[in-house]
Amino acid sequence: MTNLQNAAEEEQLAHFMQRIERGDKIEADDWMPEEYRLTLIRLISMHGISEIMGALPEKEWVPKAPSLNRKLGIMAKVQDEMGHGQLLLRVTEDLLVPYGKNRGDIMQDLFNGDLKFHNVFHMETKTWADAGIIGWLVDGAAIITQTNMLGASYGPYARALQRICAEEVFHAQHGESIIMALAEGTDEQKAMIQESLNRWWEALLMFFGPASKETTGSSKQDLTIKYKIRTKTNEEFRQLFFDKYIPRILSLGLTIPDPTIRFDEESKLWSYKQPDWNEFKKIIKNGGPRSHARLNLRRSSYENNAWVRDALSVKVT
Amino acid sequence: MTEEKTFYQEYEVFSKRTPSSAFQHQFSLLAPNEDMAFILAQENFMRREPVADIWIVNRKNIRKMDVEEKMTLGRLDNKDYRTTKGYGYLKKKWRQYEQQILDEKEILSWGGERK
Amino acid sequence: MNENETVMSQEYKEAITSLLFQLADDDFLYAYRGSEWLGLAPHIEEDVASSSISQDSMGHAAMFYKLLEDLGVGNADDLAHSRPALDRKNSVLMERVNGEGYYMETPLYDWAYQVVRSYFYTQAKKIKIDSLCESSYSPLADTAVKVRMELYYHRLHWETWFKQLLSSTDVAKKKMDEAIKKVMDDFGDVFSYGNEKLLIEKSRLISSEESLRDKWNASIEPVFAALQMEVPKISDKPTKNGRNGEHTQDLVEALHTLSEVYKFDPIATW
Repeated sequence: MTNLQNAAEEEQLAHFMQRIERGDKIEADDWMPEEYRLTLIRLISMHGISEIMGALPEKEWVPKAPSLNRKLGIMAKVQDEMGHGQLLLRVTEDLLVPYGKNRGDIMQDLFNGDLKFHNVFHMETKTWADAGIIGWLVDGAAIITQTNMLGASYGPYARALQRICAEEVFHAQHGESIIMALAEGTDEQKAMIQESLNRWWEALLMFFGPASKETTGSSKQDLTIKYKIRTKTNEEFRQLFFDKYIPRILSLGLTIPDPTIRFDEESKLWSYKQPDWNEFKKIIKNGGPRSHARLNLRRSSYENNAWVRDALSVKVT
Repeated sequence: MTEEKTFYQEYEVFSKRTPSSAFQHQFSLLAPNEDMAFILAQENFMRREPVADIWIVNRKNIRKMDVEEKMTLGRLDNKDYRTTKGYGYLKKKWRQYEQQILDEKEILSWGGERK
Repeated sequence: MNENETVMSQEYKEAITSLLFQLADDDFLYAYRGSEWLGLAPHIEEDVASSSISQDSMGHAAMFYKLLEDLGVGNADDLAHSRPALDRKNSVLMERVNGEGYYMETPLYDWAYQVVRSYFYTQAKKIKIDSLCESSYSPLADTAVKVRMELYYHRLHWETWFKQLLSSTDVAKKKMDEAIKKVMDDFGDVFSYGNEKLLIEKSRLISSEESLRDKWNASIEPVFAALQMEVPKISDKPTKNGRNGEHTQDLVEALHTLSEVYKFDPIATW
């Protein structure tokens, strides 16, 4: 690269960072440094594919939902998850244009293990209460991270999140409604939620990621903050989750499965038992309890339907 | 260059909320052709709100601006003569003649019933 | 208020009940099979769009079960979840699995079958609903007017898939032809009222089986003509008639899954 090109690029970069600093929205066709593009692709493709993979554990309860209304509600909810995946993959696909990659490549990245999905969606579901816990607390956790990015510097992501967060409000209430019915129900139903909460608690803590990269060896939080994609750290998210949900969990007569958890009045922080971060590393590398089964389901349905996409494909000039 | 077949064409979706409202851009979707894009549009982006009409446009038919072309959008802020702002003094003038200025609110109200 | 509601003969009530069970069970099972597809369609945008059709259809089933509830037949959720296969009145076509494999494991569902079953059924439902808009039982006529509103989209959706796949590759055409055959093998009871035929037709609740069948043929004929295909013939002697409670193991298994949580405690609120 010549000095001249170098200087031109540095000027572009400086101009770009000025735009970020003054709160401009960056659009798909705008010039952006490769680091920014790759940070976005990593973040949004993982977010998008997590929605697509996240549809699978809840979908397990769609046919089994225990009333006509519950069947309708959970169908609409899982449909939204697929819809969120659609929005986020579209945003990713536009960022991938310079690399000549499309949705088919994203799916292949998922299948060969290059593209990861959120730890919570590697977990097993066992009872109907899991459908409630997922809607109430997993979506609750997702709302906390997603609302933080509503002002993201990347315009298309911010716009997708606007649509997503509006629907998440319905998801949270859908989950609350399932949980409320169980909490006010029979002893077996109450026991069902507690048992579900016990199983999901660690996965919920892991959802926000490690507090710093020292924990697991890598963390993208610094870059996303530098580029004003988000403003809060992983630990700040987790603390906010505790603030919002612990009082609600306790009010329903449930117990947090961590006897050490407490709020420190002085630091205004919750202290809690750390989840097993080695287990987290294993899970996100597709070594979780249902990682293989879910990937297998996604892959087999994708390949089994390849003839449909092939049938309607056309040459585009 | 070999031409590859693709299932993934990009369509932009626009819709109107009510018969009297203007079209608004919603989002984009992938579909193999126009008819497919058409049957996918409403349920993907307007599952909850009312819709009165939908347009879909293959993205390749949209003429977009590049960075340099966006420079043509620049404009000085010295064009008060195009707006009512440049004629604000009239309000005071008309008062001298014991008349009210015909402002935007007044003029746009003339479409209604005669009062 | 309809005169039939004030002085409803036992016979008339039986006819309505029987017809409502057929309508409700058809949509319930159709929506259930659609819901198994959720997350597994060939294209993400299609997954989202066709889930709306499953939801609409489940919504229609709920409206028909509610009409039964209003007649004092039982609670709508109970009617949907706890009746055994023998009591079910859906067409055998609606209960058939989507393809090989249980949805919780590695199902290999057949999209051609989904398209053909959905298109033929939606077309049949449209014919029935049009007729039901004139039903002698006014609560049913009112419901039919509402249901009709959502069928325009369902029909356009499945017709688009049907036409496009049949006009595409040899592989797709072969799969579609096989699916058409499979669907038609079970189509014999779609327009049947089973043993209640005389009672239902006499009560002017809906047109005769024969008249609906002719209308279905006429409505689907232009699509087949454009594809240079013959409209497949509906058998008038179905091997199993779902309207008389004749069903397959597929239904038994579906009922087991869809009522698993409900039956954990049928008295509890879920």
